[in-house]
Amino acid sequence: MSRASMLAARLLLLALALGLWEALPRLGWVDDEILPPFSAVFVTALQLLQRPAIHGDLVTTGLQLGAALIISVPTGVLLGILLAENKRLAQVCEPLLYFLFSVPKSIFLPLFILTLGISFWQKVAFGCFSTILIVLMSATAAVRSVREEHVLTARSYGATRAQITRHVYLPSMLPVLLEALRLAVIFSTTAVVLAEMYASRSGIGQQIASWGESFMMRQLFAGVLIVSVTAIVINEFIRWIENRCSHWRS
Amino acid sequence: MSPSAIRWLIGGILLVLWEVLPRAGLVPQLFLPALSQTIAVAIADWRIFAEALAVTLSEAAVALVFACGGGILAGALLGSVARLRGLLLPVVSSLYAVPLVVLYPVFTAWFGIGAQSKIAFASLYGFFPTLLGTAAGIQTIDAQLLVTARSMGATLSQRLRHVVLPAAIPTVIASLRLGGALVIVGVVVSEMLTSSAGIGYLITSYRTVLDSPRVYVGILLVLLLGVLLDLGMRLLEHAATRHRPSAVPRRAAPAI
Repeated sequence: MSRASMLAARLLLLALALGLWEALPRLGWVDDEILPPFSAVFVTALQLLQRPAIHGDLVTTGLQLGAALIISVPTGVLLGILLAENKRLAQVCEPLLYFLFSVPKSIFLPLFILTLGISFWQKVAFGCFSTILIVLMSATAAVRSVREEHVLTARSYGATRAQITRHVYLPSMLPVLLEALRLAVIFSTTAVVLAEMYASRSGIGQQIASWGESFMMRQLFAGVLIVSVTAIVINEFIRWIENRCSHWRS
Repeated sequence: MSPSAIRWLIGGILLVLWEVLPRAGLVPQLFLPALSQTIAVAIADWRIFAEALAVTLSEAAVALVFACGGGILAGALLGSVARLRGLLLPVVSSLYAVPLVVLYPVFTAWFGIGAQSKIAFASLYGFFPTLLGTAAGIQTIDAQLLVTARSMGATLSQRLRHVVLPAAIPTVIASLRLGGALVIVGVVVSEMLTSSAGIGYLITSYRTVLDSPRVYVGILLVLLLGVLLDLGMRLLEHAATRHRPSAVPRRAAPAI
């Protein structure tokens, strides 16, 4: 199948899924109090997006997410490079890191409330905590993906350290680092939204939880739709950049 | 000193600090209750924790059946039919970006706050990674083995019985391992959010009354559960692949 027909088939699947979502409640097969039809949810989502209160929630969530990424991604990359460059450190730390990596992070959320209270920085800290290991391990892998021969060749042609960093290290590490950024966005979105749903005064996660508690199904589904579409769009955008950067790599 | 000796040393120092720092008042007891106090609380309250753990485990067991059953079947299908894989894998990995936890309020609205909503959420939580893992694993089955079996005149059922199934076992067990870990997290997280029983519920209710030692006991128990499950699955993996003289070579999973 060609790319275009693949895309068409996927769009058709999406249309089928949305059509089913619309038809089930409309035909009365499912109570529309349980599952409001897609069109109603879509209209509700558009209405919600015009409310200043929802803007406030989205901005709060966005800021927490942004702060978590700005802190955790550079820190993780630096620590990862440090680990890749230092053999002894890697021998000692790597098994520990693998273990910590496999430990579920969500269950530590209550500790962040005990230590930092229910606050903006508590969500940021939890976001960083959930994200930093994946970035660190990807950065280590990125450094190790740089081919020794390329560095040697560049050096034997008399490239300076800055030139080697700019023309050898950066281009071959960039796709791996972008992939790390993409995973970091996924992980920290989950972390921040979970923290908001768990205990919070604002943020879209908190809204979704309270719509759920008061059985406001249209708003609840609209909230889920807004969060899901935003997450997918951001993810695809980073993946698009990733593909453009790794185009020539192989 | 060898790296592993240093690791043991680091672990030992951390345990000592866990005891000394709160006792010396350098870290508030609310943030970090002393190790001995945490253990004492765990022993004193073991019955409460054991009952909560039993609830969580029973929910996780049912969710594991759904997540791994569904994930392994769908993954096997996607892994073995190339056209379907090309069509759907990108969709699945796009959906992976969605923070699934936003769906939990939908499940509580639909199924109430009992075991059903936890099982539904944990099944979904474990489903996609199990699917992706199985799909990647099935593709590592060596096509040469199948060609060889066919050229030696093996029937379809013989090929399934002697080639495909044995080669798929490591993949299935690896998926169970991944799914099991995720399902436990899914159940505990959903219990923490809205629930009336289970270890996650216990953690949250102790957290709201700022009973730090019991919060720590709950979290440690969940971690222990995860580690034990992982260990069990590893043993199973070892037992299942031991009798085969040449294991199928493990290739790196394709990027998704």
